Amino acid sequence: MLNVKIKKELPLHLMILPGFILLIIFSYIPMAGIIIAFQKFIPVKGLFGNQKWIGLENFSYVFGMPNFHSVLWNTISIALMKIVLGLFIPLVISILINEVRNSGLRRGIQTAIYLPHFLSWVVLGGIFIDMLSPSGGIVNGFLGLLGIEPIFFLGSNKWFPTTMVITETWKEFGYGTIIYLAAITGIDPSLYEAARVDGANRWKQTLNITLPGMRMVIVLLMVLSLGNILNAGFDQIFNLYSPPVYESGDIIDTLVYRLGLLEAQYGVATAVGLFKSLVSFVFISVSYFCAYRFADYRIF
Amino acid sequence: MKISYFKKIIALTVALFLLVSLVAGCGNSSKDNNSASSTAEQGNESTGASAQGGDKSPLGKYEPAIDISFVRGIDDDLAANILPKTPGETLEDNRWTRTYKDELGINIKYDWTVKGNEVSDAFVQKINVTLASGELPDVILVNPPQLKQLIDSDMVEDMTQYYNDYASDLLKKYMTEEGSGNIDSVTFNGKMMAVPEILAINELAQYLWIRNDWLKKLNLDPPKTMDDVLKIAEAFTTRDPDGNGKNDTYGIPITKDLYSGCMGTEGFFAGYHAYPNMWVEDSSGKLAWGSTLPETKVALQKLADMYKVGQIDKEFGIKDGSKVAETIAAGKVGIDYGAQWNPMYPLISNYNNDKNADWTGYPLTSADSQKVMVPLKFNQTRIFAVKKGYKHPEALVKLMNMHLEKCWGETADFNKYYMPKENGGVGVWKFSPVCPAPPFKNTEAFVAIDEARKNNDFSKLIDEPKSIQANIEAYEKGDTTQWGWEKIYGKDGVFRNMVQYRENNQLLSEKFVGAPTKTITEKKTTLDKMEKEVFVKIIMGAASINEFDKFVADWNKLGGADMTKEVNEWYDSVKAK
Repeated sequence: MLNVKIKKELPLHLMILPGFILLIIFSYIPMAGIIIAFQKFIPVKGLFGNQKWIGLENFSYVFGMPNFHSVLWNTISIALMKIVLGLFIPLVISILINEVRNSGLRRGIQTAIYLPHFLSWVVLGGIFIDMLSPSGGIVNGFLGLLGIEPIFFLGSNKWFPTTMVITETWKEFGYGTIIYLAAITGIDPSLYEAARVDGANRWKQTLNITLPGMRMVIVLLMVLSLGNILNAGFDQIFNLYSPPVYESGDIIDTLVYRLGLLEAQYGVATAVGLFKSLVSFVFISVSYFCAYRFADYRIF
Repeated sequence: MKISYFKKIIALTVALFLLVSLVAGCGNSSKDNNSASSTAEQGNESTGASAQGGDKSPLGKYEPAIDISFVRGIDDDLAANILPKTPGETLEDNRWTRTYKDELGINIKYDWTVKGNEVSDAFVQKINVTLASGELPDVILVNPPQLKQLIDSDMVEDMTQYYNDYASDLLKKYMTEEGSGNIDSVTFNGKMMAVPEILAINELAQYLWIRNDWLKKLNLDPPKTMDDVLKIAEAFTTRDPDGNGKNDTYGIPITKDLYSGCMGTEGFFAGYHAYPNMWVEDSSGKLAWGSTLPETKVALQKLADMYKVGQIDKEFGIKDGSKVAETIAAGKVGIDYGAQWNPMYPLISNYNNDKNADWTGYPLTSADSQKVMVPLKFNQTRIFAVKKGYKHPEALVKLMNMHLEKCWGETADFNKYYMPKENGGVGVWKFSPVCPAPPFKNTEAFVAIDEARKNNDFSKLIDEPKSIQANIEAYEKGDTTQWGWEKIYGKDGVFRNMVQYRENNQLLSEKFVGAPTKTITEKKTTLDKMEKEVFVKIIMGAASINEFDKFVADWNKLGGADMTKEVNEWYDSVKAK
């Protein structure tokens, strides 16, 4: 009996083998590099060379850095705002798009909002500096029509984090929308028919059929995104921050960039990376547990 | 049942992988052993050979020929310009490699090449990987921190003896023409651990580029003092020099990075005898970080004043070089502190849009009767180190001798080895893996052209000055793409100021040129970031000028004091030499 089952399923298991191998090569084996975090690492001696072990010294060095706390705070606050908006906006937009009857228009909107996802921050950085300029930028030009004084979005510590969150959301919400739309498509149309027969209007249908039908996907995205609690977006911040906003814009990743690539302090940079991974791991575990408890959501 | 089956699959896969990596590991280590023992043998041979031969002539030929391996980056010029215009030549087989082979008996090989020059991310990353892998080429091109790593790991040859014995007079002359910086930068514990390609720091000297057409329009004279500069900046801001009836011009363009070879601030600071971003001697003769000295505060105050009245772009604090260059292209500014090459970039972008834009390079000006010193930051990026155990370390020195000889020596053949006319004047010298050049060659080319201009006889010009003069003549005949040459080497060329700087002893080189010290490695970028943050804020008025004193205190507290101590220890050891 068992043999028959194995025979039947063996090809399926073999099919995941390539992915499994890639995962091991590119995700698991490099984990050995974690040892660098506990070493005074000198690259020319090689990964397995005669490196000096220094315990947790790299960690205490980082946590003792004068501005580490503000960096940590910037990272968490920016990342948290990005996570919340990044979940909420696509959800609303996908439901709205779903209500558009004209399929050509619907696809048009979908493509248009999806496009910025493919632009790199190097390109967008230059565009945003122009668009958000307090003198002659179109955003401040528009605010001027409403009688608002020009705002130096990228040069003021008060506005910089908000600007990062909004521009990032603008760039990525099209991508999130596609996932939600896929979830909506997966809902059984007969449920809507039944609701219409019972006299439910569009709003009631959305509330009682669409949203519950998307529950699994929403929870999944929430669980996954919580792992990003310390990812405030290196590409974006690195291309848009500048000396006047270091105070509010310096995040863990830009710190690691300076330590690892500019100062070549690989040990310290790896220590920060490990710290990030640990925190993310805890958050993912907790959120997965919550999802399991409250939404009966399970991956395994 | 299902679970245990899964476990088996996983266990099997893991076992398989361990097996594979084990086999691979064995393969590698045995290969390493082989190569190690073979280099040891080679080492023995070499001591034997040199004891017998003893030929120490700088250009002596190896019989039989030897191999030497390099790694190199291929910059855009080489890939898109030089290689296409030299049919029949490749990176591995060209006029330079053939010469090295025929005249020196040295075969040039490349372990790897990568697109990008030696400061590009691609090259630096590949070098870092090469260093970590331990499989070095015979000669490796590194920057100072990488050299320090190699020395700490005892992976490079001590070059002292080889350099002393084999370097030609030409190489020795040019290596020290601008002082001992080139040698000091590779000297560790009194030993020369590598050979730098001669760094010409005078090329980094800043000038005051001003739009002459704007000066004339507003009836202003070229600046003689810093007050004149401030007045011109004010006039360029408020008196509508571009005549479009709008208040849209600035005094001076600066970037969020503050220090830069174009649109920089170093020349402005120098006017107030302030030298930020480099190690200079303070009044007591000790080395100090220029940014922390009181003169810097004075100059910062001036910049803050200019910002307040709109002579500096309100948004400069978030703009990098390429963004600020757009304001130059758009004709919004008429002053630019920058190096001699500024007409090639970014100033020509202004000229392309507005043929009236007449940028001229003036010397830096002083705020008082004291003469202005021109800061030259030491920034070595091309150092050649020889792998420990390589049989012929002196071959590197011989290659450098040969390169100088063929381009600037008595037997020089400029047209063949430097910029051949029949190949469209491209810089074929880049085919050579090592390219040392006389540090003042550009200034000297200007002097030669200027002399010919005075005598109204260009026929005696040879080599580089000749090809430069051809570019100037092309411009005069209407080829606007050659505009920059006229601005640099022409009648009012910027190099006239370098002649003057040299005559008046106005060049101030950075005093610390050693490898990064312990604290510099660990703290410098953090301190640099703090410095820029505070300085930009002070200029923008977001912080008061008194923040400067707090910055100096913080800077010392957060590692600056240690850095200063280490740098001075190095300085004392060099001075004692």
